[in-house]
Amino acid sequence: MNEIRALIVDDSSVMRKIVERALRQAGLDSLVVHEAGSGTEGLDLLKAKKVDLILSDINMPSMDGLEFLRQIRAQNLAPGVPVVMITTESSEDHVKQAILAGAQGYIRKPFTAEQVKERVLPLVHAA
Amino acid sequence: MLLNGVRTAALARGRVGGTNEMERTMAVSLRESVQLVSDPRNLDASVEEVFQLMLGVNCKRGSGPIEPEPESVTAVVGFGGLLSGACVFKSGGSAAMKIAAHMTGMEFSDVDDTVKDGIGEICNMLAGAWKGKVPELAANCGLSVPAVITGRDYNLHVQAPEFQLKHIYFFEDTGFEVTIVCDGLQ
Repeated sequence: MNEIRALIVDDSSVMRKIVERALRQAGLDSLVVHEAGSGTEGLDLLKAKKVDLILSDINMPSMDGLEFLRQIRAQNLAPGVPVVMITTESSEDHVKQAILAGAQGYIRKPFTAEQVKERVLPLVHAA
Repeated sequence: MLLNGVRTAALARGRVGGTNEMERTMAVSLRESVQLVSDPRNLDASVEEVFQLMLGVNCKRGSGPIEPEPESVTAVVGFGGLLSGACVFKSGGSAAMKIAAHMTGMEFSDVDDTVKDGIGEICNMLAGAWKGKVPELAANCGLSVPAVITGRDYNLHVQAPEFQLKHIYFFEDTGFEVTIVCDGLQ
């Protein structure tokens, strides 16, 4: 597989590392990771760099993941790039909100590397 | 230690969904399912799930006592919405470092920012997993971002909670405490 550039947005540096490790375990060996600690930081990063995949937490201070996602779409910052939300919130409502905001995938924390593989790899292959 | 700050933040997050969500929230009540909400097995299952999936360890409820340590780490995630209260994780410093080491694959010699960050995330996942066990809660209860407190000789006090679950768990001979405090139920 070609090099995949992923943006991981989470206010927890530990979770960013865990997500990165799960992506590598899922088979994305040629992975270049950009990290952002907030939605605002993520938007700035998307203005400067091209990415192939975005994974974002929802529950973050200042700008939450859903607003981050709406801003990506509103500013047309990453057209065609799949966005996967990773969050502790698991109700149907939260999934619907994420899909309505433009997410292509949804992973509930805690997660396994297998779940990441099942939900992220098809999106990467399709993009 | 007061829980009002995290509870207010959780309440605000519970309102993110807008008017329709709030209107539906008002129509749902947990009063009649308080037995289900306070079922201690939900907390046990949540702790086992989070530790198995995120740390790869088997974690079981025990009866204590936990070896006392000079420094302790407490993480608090507030609940707001149909249920108000908090999920509180408390452990000694070495237990916190061991948990963070399992999460990250790194070694720690003190309770640094990465350890605090990891413990905050564990508490966040425990709170999310616990409320996810009850569908009404999953949809109508928001979570605050975690707050982490470190120090020596402090106690957590909650005035007259609606109910409280306080369990001790062990993995690999390492103990920690998880408390669910509910001080309001609609």
